[in-house]
Amino acid sequence: MMDYQQLLTQRRSHPAWRLLAADHAPMIASFLHRSFIAPNVRTIARQQLISQLDDHLFQLHEIAGESLFPKSAVSYLDDWASDERGWLRKYYPQGQDEPHYDLTSSAEQALEWLSGLSQRNFIGTESRLNTVFGLLKQIIDGTELNPGARIAKLQKRRADIDAEIAKINEGHLELMEPTQVRERFLQMASTARELLSDFRALDQNFRMLDRSVREQIATWEGGKGELLQQIFGKRDLIADSDEGRSFRAFWDLLMSPSRQDELGKMLEQVMALVPIRELEPDGRLRRIHYDWLEAGEVTQRTVARLSEQLRRYLDDKTWLENRRIMELIRTVEQNALALRGHIPEQTCMTIDDSHPDVALPMERLLHSPPFKAVIREIPLGDACPEIASDALFEQVYVDQGRLLSNLRRVLQMRRQVSLGSLVADYPIEQGLAELATYLKLATQDVVAVIDDERTEHISWIGSDGRCREASLPMIIFTLRGKNDE
Amino acid sequence: MSGDDRFGPVLVALFQGVLYREHAEPLWQSLQDLQARVRDYGGAMGLELILDEAEGYAYLRQRTPVAEEPELPRLVQRRQLSFPVSLILVLLRRTLAEFDATGGETRLVVSRDDIADQIRVFLPSTANEARLLDRIDTHIGKIVELGFLRRLRGPEAQYEVRRILKAFVDAQWLGEFAERLDAYAHQATARSEEDP
Repeated sequence: MMDYQQLLTQRRSHPAWRLLAADHAPMIASFLHRSFIAPNVRTIARQQLISQLDDHLFQLHEIAGESLFPKSAVSYLDDWASDERGWLRKYYPQGQDEPHYDLTSSAEQALEWLSGLSQRNFIGTESRLNTVFGLLKQIIDGTELNPGARIAKLQKRRADIDAEIAKINEGHLELMEPTQVRERFLQMASTARELLSDFRALDQNFRMLDRSVREQIATWEGGKGELLQQIFGKRDLIADSDEGRSFRAFWDLLMSPSRQDELGKMLEQVMALVPIRELEPDGRLRRIHYDWLEAGEVTQRTVARLSEQLRRYLDDKTWLENRRIMELIRTVEQNALALRGHIPEQTCMTIDDSHPDVALPMERLLHSPPFKAVIREIPLGDACPEIASDALFEQVYVDQGRLLSNLRRVLQMRRQVSLGSLVADYPIEQGLAELATYLKLATQDVVAVIDDERTEHISWIGSDGRCREASLPMIIFTLRGKNDE
Repeated sequence: MSGDDRFGPVLVALFQGVLYREHAEPLWQSLQDLQARVRDYGGAMGLELILDEAEGYAYLRQRTPVAEEPELPRLVQRRQLSFPVSLILVLLRRTLAEFDATGGETRLVVSRDDIADQIRVFLPSTANEARLLDRIDTHIGKIVELGFLRRLRGPEAQYEVRRILKAFVDAQWLGEFAERLDAYAHQATARSEEDP
């Protein structure tokens, strides 16, 4: 990988190197980072991404005071998603008409490298050596065939643990030095971040594996039996690859609620330690397990979808039919090319409709001319101030309390009273408004019965001295709580 | 009782066009349950139910007449296709096959320009690019009408190639097309040999 010719090719063809070497690398990298990496997002709809890029470019131009990037957001986006650049992946998710974009794994690699440039200079060594020891131990223990040897190791561990317990009981509580704490934390943090950024690469690897299998299938010249043997007779190639298995194990581990709980608590506890707080770590580390879940879920879905589609592609009918189809298409194309000068004018082929014919002439709607809203351009002026607004201020205020006490006094004598009798005893003083208030009380505030079958006539003297009369349904007020038959 | 209620809507849907699982999940479910009844109903009229669970579509087609049975009049129309339209269907079918061979996604989206670029080589060369594109738009319109392309919402002229194309542009159809083209070619050479 590191010889001269290979590197020459790499520089030309690898999207990550191309991104680093691009003229506008700072603009592009900062945009891609804030759109995808910082919020841990795996998919963005086209219109939204265009609008985000517009904002980004606008801000940069504002600060610089000049137009540094001449092209439009749309043309930059289409360029970055093209095969020549390979920084964005464009696809159509199910059920959506709008294309969506994700960062490619190569672009993510470049961004990782760039953010690594500004890392702190603490290069810890002790904790990483411990990790090497730990991993080697895991491998050896996990492959130890001799049960006696395993037991001996476990017994030694138990002895060590007992010794430590004894020491603590004597009062020697060994604590880690702040340096050791910091070193381990930084190692944990960088591993966690690496894991997160690996998901896109995983995704891409699964897709490439799928692609190579399909290519094999499509170009296979022999019989189907041999093809299946060739691909190890497995139907679930994606999930059974090394990466597939490891991912499966990772996913099972992460998905257990108790593990998640444990991770969350441990992260909280660690981030609260003084030596760690002094480092001012990225707050996002606290929820890294959620970020893994989100990213892992996307990969999980990719694996499931690819496996299913591959299974279908390997299906008997599909496989044979596809081969024949391609041959026939080649024949059609050759014959069509031979005809180029003499295109037949008449009907060339027929094809069946996709449903029986149901003629519904009466279902055709009559034409209705489209509504055209007439928008006139008239400048808006100020309203003329001489509108008589007195009417707004001539509200009649009817005191509900007064009416209610009228009613109560009457109901002290009788069990029920009609509105007509009530106003006979307490004549209407405020005209129609008072009548309306009685109606309001009857429907909302007091116990009353409204009889539509019978009418009453109520009359009063208005403020202008004239007699007015209204006829309305019979309203009977009763005392609350009395259930008369 | 609920089986009866669901039968009607399923039939109507099939009479109106292709039933896609992704667009009408409840109807699709009903169809799965009432398959046998639908087949009987259609069979009485000479119609056959094609239900592809993997691809997620279902439709009614004319059953090929069997020797012993009396032949019923056709209910499914035969649509006439011009040469360019037929050819575009073939090119779309090829793109779909190649797309499937590279895997990953199931939704193939093409632009009008993609189609134009592919068919250009088969049509007589013309200096009037605009007229060519207009004609191609007409052809695309026809294919949308047939139900093999679906125009995507959005500002650009993007079309989804519907997978049901595979069911109609099949080996038999392609074979027939190849033969006809061959016949035309022979006619053309015969004619040119006649002219002095």
